[in-house]
Amino acid sequence: MSDFQIGLLSNIGMISFVALSAYLLLISGAISFGQQAYFGLGAYAAGVATTLWDWPLAVALGFGALLGGLGGGLIGLLTRKLNGLYFAIATLAFAEFTRVALELWRYQRTIDGELVGPDGANGFNGIRRAFEDGWHPLSFMILIWLLLGATLLALTLFDRSRAGAALRGAGEDPVLATLLGTDVMRLRVAVASAAGAIAGLGGGLYAHLNTYIEPSLFDVMLGVHALAYGLIGGLGTALGPLIGVLVDIGILESSRLFQGWRMVVFGGLVALLLIWRPRGLLDEATVRRLRTLVLPATRHA
Amino acid sequence: MVVEVLQTLIDGLSAGAAYALLGLGFTLMFGVMRRLNLSYGASLMVGGYLGALLAARMGNALPVGVLALLAAIVTVAGATLAGLYVERLCFAPLRRRSAVAAMVSSFAVWMQLEALASLLLPLHTNPYPTPLDLAPIDVAGLTVRPEHVLTLVVAAVVALLLHRMLARSRFGLALRTLSDSEPAAEAVGIDARRMTLLAFLLASALGGIGAWLVLAADQQVTPMFGMWSTLKGLIAMMLGGLGSIPGAIVGGLLLGLIEASGQALWGPQVRELIAYGLLFLVLVVRPGGLYGRTEVALDLAARERL
Repeated sequence: MSDFQIGLLSNIGMISFVALSAYLLLISGAISFGQQAYFGLGAYAAGVATTLWDWPLAVALGFGALLGGLGGGLIGLLTRKLNGLYFAIATLAFAEFTRVALELWRYQRTIDGELVGPDGANGFNGIRRAFEDGWHPLSFMILIWLLLGATLLALTLFDRSRAGAALRGAGEDPVLATLLGTDVMRLRVAVASAAGAIAGLGGGLYAHLNTYIEPSLFDVMLGVHALAYGLIGGLGTALGPLIGVLVDIGILESSRLFQGWRMVVFGGLVALLLIWRPRGLLDEATVRRLRTLVLPATRHA
Repeated sequence: MVVEVLQTLIDGLSAGAAYALLGLGFTLMFGVMRRLNLSYGASLMVGGYLGALLAARMGNALPVGVLALLAAIVTVAGATLAGLYVERLCFAPLRRRSAVAAMVSSFAVWMQLEALASLLLPLHTNPYPTPLDLAPIDVAGLTVRPEHVLTLVVAAVVALLLHRMLARSRFGLALRTLSDSEPAAEAVGIDARRMTLLAFLLASALGGIGAWLVLAADQQVTPMFGMWSTLKGLIAMMLGGLGSIPGAIVGGLLLGLIEASGQALWGPQVRELIAYGLLFLVLVVRPGGLYGRTEVALDLAARERL
C-alpha cells in the first residue's frame, strides 16, 4: 500500500470513532453536537501521558478513553433531563467551552532539551511516542482498525442485547420505555459515558498518528460532521456511520474529482439523500430486510 | 472606573444589538417550523460575500456612500435568496417528517454555501464597504464609534417594525397563530406552507440586516463568518428563551454585555469561555432561558425528540 492509502485508511478509521460516538447517542434519541470534545480530551490526555509522564502507549490510550468516558458521563449526568434541542445546544456549549479552555491551557516541560506539552492555541507538538516505540504507519493503521473492529463488534453485540433493545426503545418513546421498566435516565448517563469513551479512544489514536494536535481541530465542524455521517450511512446498524465517513473522506476528499466543487456536490447530494431516506441509507427497515435475506430464520430477541 | 464600566456597557450593548438581530431570525424560524436551521449563518455569509464581491468588482467606480448602500441591499437580498434555497431544499420536502434529517440536511447545505462563497472570493479576508468612515467620537472620556451608534439605531428600528408587524398586521397575526398551533392555523384557513416560507424569508432578511451591521463595523468578511453568526444567533436565542421574540432581544443584548465585560476583565479568550459556560449553565439549570415565561407548546416542541 502507498503512504497515501495508509494515511487515508487511518484517517477514515479515526474519524469513525467520533462518528460511532455520535451514532450511539443518536439511537438513544439524543442529538449531540459535542462529541468532538471527548475526542479532543482523549487526544490531549493520551498525548500528555506519553510525552510528559512517559507512560506506555497502551496505558495512555486507555487513559484517553477513560477521561473521555468520565467527561461524557459527567455531562450526561448534568444533562440527563434535557431533551431535543436543549440537549443538543448544551453539548455544543460544553464542547466549545472545552475547546476554548484547551486554547488557554499551557502545561509544558523541557524533555531531552526540547520544550514539549500543550501550548494553548499554538497546539501540542511532538507526540512521537508511537513512532519511537517502533510503530510503522502501516502497523499503526492496523492497530486503529483492530480497535475500531472491536468497538464495532461490541456495539453490534450490544445492539442485539436486551440493553440495546431497551436503548432503541427509550430513543423511540421514552415514556413507553419507562412504563416497560427501563430506567431511562440511568441508561442515558451510561450511554453518554460509553460514547465519550469511544471518542476518547479515537482521540488518543489521532494524537499519536499525527504527532501534532491543536484545539481548533476539535471544533463544532467535526462534531456536526460526526452526526451527519451516522445519518448518511443509516441509523439501522453500527456500520452506518462508517459508510458515511467512507463516502465523505474516502471517495470525495481523496479524489480530485470535483476540485473546489467537492463540498457543493456533496452538500447537495446529502440534502437530496435525506429527502429520499430521512434515516439514512441503511435505515432500520432496510437492515431488517437485509437480515431476513441473509438469515431467513431470524432470532427475535 | 465609572468611565470604564460605561465604556464596557456601550461596547456590549452595540455588539449585543447585532446579536439580537441574529437571534431574532433564529427564533422566528424555530417558532414557525420547530426546526433548527444550521445553515442560517452560511446564508448570511453568502449575502456578505456578495456584498464584498460587489465592492471588489465595482468599488472604484462608485462613490463610497452609494457602494455602501448597494452592499447593504445586496447582502440582505443575498441572505434572503440563500434562505429561499435552504427552505425549499431542506425544510419544505421534510415537513412533518424527521426533524433530525432536516437539521442535518441544513448542515450539508451550510457546507455547500460556504464552499460556494469561497469559490466566489477565495481570499481569507475580503474588504467589506462601510457606510461611515468616521473617526470615533469622544464624549466625556468615552469612545463612541459611529458604527456602534448605527448598529444600535438600526437594530432598534428593525425590532420596533417587527413588533408592529407581528402585533398589528394580518400577516403578523397569521404568523403568531401558526407559531402557537399549526392545526389551529390550518383550521382558520392559514396556508401553513406559504406562511412558513414567508417567515423563513423574513428571518433570513432580519439576519441579513444583522450580518450587514456586523460586517460594516468590521469592514471585512472572512470564511469564519458563517459559523460565527450561527453560534451567536443560537446562543442569543437559547439564553433568552426559545421561540420568544423579546427573549431573543434580551438574550442578544445580554450576550453582548457578558462578552464585553469578560473581555474588559480577562481578555478575549476568557470572554468566549464565559459565554459558553454560561450558556451551558442556563440550559442545565433553567432550560426555558432567562426570559421568564416559557410558552408551553414551544417548550414541548423543543423537548421533542428532534
